[in-house]
Amino acid sequence: MAKKITGPQLILANRLDDGRAVFLTAAGAWSKQVAEAAVANSEEELTGLLSVAQAAEVSNQVVSVTPVAADVSGDAVAPAHIKFAMQSKGPSVRSDLGYQVSPNWE
Amino acid sequence: MYAYDTFDHAMVNARVAEFRDQVERRMTGELTEEEFRPLRLMNGLYLQLHAYMLRVAIPYGTLSADQMRKLAHIARKYDKGYGHFTTRQNIQYNWPKLSETPDILQELADVEMHAVQTSGNCIRNVTTDQFAGATADEVADPRPYAELIRQWSSFHPEFSFLPRKFKIAITGAKTDRAAIKWHDIGLVVKENDEGEIGFEVLAGGGMGRTPVIAKTVRDFLPVQDLLSYLEAMLRVYNEQGRRDNKYKARIKILVEAMGVEEYARQVEAEWEKIRHIPIDVPEEEVARIKAFFAPPPLAVLADDVPAVDELAGKNFIFKAWLANNTGAHKVPGYANVTISLKPHGGIPGDASDEQMDLVADLADTYSQSEIRVSHEQNLILPHVAKKDLPELWQKLDEAGLGTPNAGLLTDIIACPGLDYCSLANTRSIPIAQTITERFDDMKRLMDIGPLKIKISGCINSCGHHHAGHIGILGVDRKGTENYQILLGGSGGEDASKAAILGPGFDEDGIVDAVEKVVAVYLGEREEGEEFLAAYRRLGPDTFKEAVYGAH
Repeated sequence: MAKKITGPQLILANRLDDGRAVFLTAAGAWSKQVAEAAVANSEEELTGLLSVAQAAEVSNQVVSVTPVAADVSGDAVAPAHIKFAMQSKGPSVRSDLGYQVSPNWE
Repeated sequence: MYAYDTFDHAMVNARVAEFRDQVERRMTGELTEEEFRPLRLMNGLYLQLHAYMLRVAIPYGTLSADQMRKLAHIARKYDKGYGHFTTRQNIQYNWPKLSETPDILQELADVEMHAVQTSGNCIRNVTTDQFAGATADEVADPRPYAELIRQWSSFHPEFSFLPRKFKIAITGAKTDRAAIKWHDIGLVVKENDEGEIGFEVLAGGGMGRTPVIAKTVRDFLPVQDLLSYLEAMLRVYNEQGRRDNKYKARIKILVEAMGVEEYARQVEAEWEKIRHIPIDVPEEEVARIKAFFAPPPLAVLADDVPAVDELAGKNFIFKAWLANNTGAHKVPGYANVTISLKPHGGIPGDASDEQMDLVADLADTYSQSEIRVSHEQNLILPHVAKKDLPELWQKLDEAGLGTPNAGLLTDIIACPGLDYCSLANTRSIPIAQTITERFDDMKRLMDIGPLKIKISGCINSCGHHHAGHIGILGVDRKGTENYQILLGGSGGEDASKAAILGPGFDEDGIVDAVEKVVAVYLGEREEGEEFLAAYRRLGPDTFKEAVYGAH
């Protein structure tokens, strides 16, 4: 069943092994770069992304699949809420840790 | 310090092996997340915003130097080079990998530590006075009783699935440094008129969205009855505590609903039924445990040390450190020393692996190889000869561990908040950092005197804002961070609930509000009157007017 949405959404999850925040891409992969996140602009698109994400949960790639509201400006995409924006960057009090250091930070 | 016997070793090692198997089954998909989640939580492993978080128990906040070195090693090898000491006297690692967690737990087991029961609806780590056994104002060292409770509550089959988490704190001192009235059960070691040692027993305290101060259930419980009485208290709660609503499931709600007299009556009735079956341990076992906590063999030393006074006369920062970060020991010539983990502009409670290693070395050199963690997120060297204080202070200061602010405004408790925690609504740490930068002048801080600021990033209250002289609570206001200010709380023997002063502020406004509250205090205080006393005398209106203007 289609999910009710009021604006663009992206899918956030945590990787199973290290818990790192990851974003579902249009290709159905998981990226550490929020810029690569697929954006759902309709309930049908969100349902499609969620089914891919939940399959990845079932196959033990990720946990805690969460659809979150996105801010989209041109090519740029970011979680709208501060909590999920924080997840896409890292702790604000440790600028030496998290994706704010580099998109491929481990 | 307590040393594991063969049973302790076997239990902890068996748990590590069991969890290793569970993690392997999770990684291969044999266990689903739904199946695995309660298993990882039973081993202190949470999933937070950026990674897993492992909470390691530090029973009653006591660590050996070797255990601290192991915590440093784990931070270095498995994490990002630091750990976070918590308000439950534990340590949390913010970046462990799931697949490496069994190795971490094995390393902990090798030094007689674990992460068992640091999460879940069970009896959590028992906390106590950080100066236990090392303070002049103590009736008796509470740690042998805390250890008895640890053993009784570990893997207790009847209390592994309580309605909600359960926290016990115990103090043996007149000054309550363990916030016992804010716990599900609080115990105060006391002496009765006959000179016998026992406990005042309190129940039903807690923070969260419904702050309640614990009430006395029994004025004097003989020491030999401790475990059977606790068993009766837990039984009544386990049977009648609400399981239909997690927000009403803590014992505080039950005790409020039935009244403390009725709760006490039911506990006494249950106790009568079970007190004669062997729950309490024989005297020999109590004596065996007590022996582990025997006072260290401290040489007799002069209590007056001219060199210390001389340095204090010349160096204001050392003088401040001496006044704030050292306390009276029960043995003349010694002091307990608080190592501040609250550098101005820093992250409350965080310590790097190098700092942990240094503290371990300093404990070996100056403090009988013993370290404590306080619920106020500092470290303690409990047995330091006064003559060593100048040298120790210098070494701490060089490592960024010499901030002389224990008990002052910048000694802030702050939860991890939205920088790490998946439950948080707002960040807490940046507020603490801005406040400590704003109040960086030590002379001004000394003039302000004792003042406890406590910051929580959500209503779960891990930052103890209800008990802050000044409490700060972060709330989500339509997706932006907003901070409420509360005044008049206390976690001490004079426990009180802080009250919200008025509407919230943004992150700059809340710091200005703190500044205004402090200005009112400085303007209105009487000779020698501390902040909390002044607030209680003045009431909220004077402060409200200063913060929000006249209405």
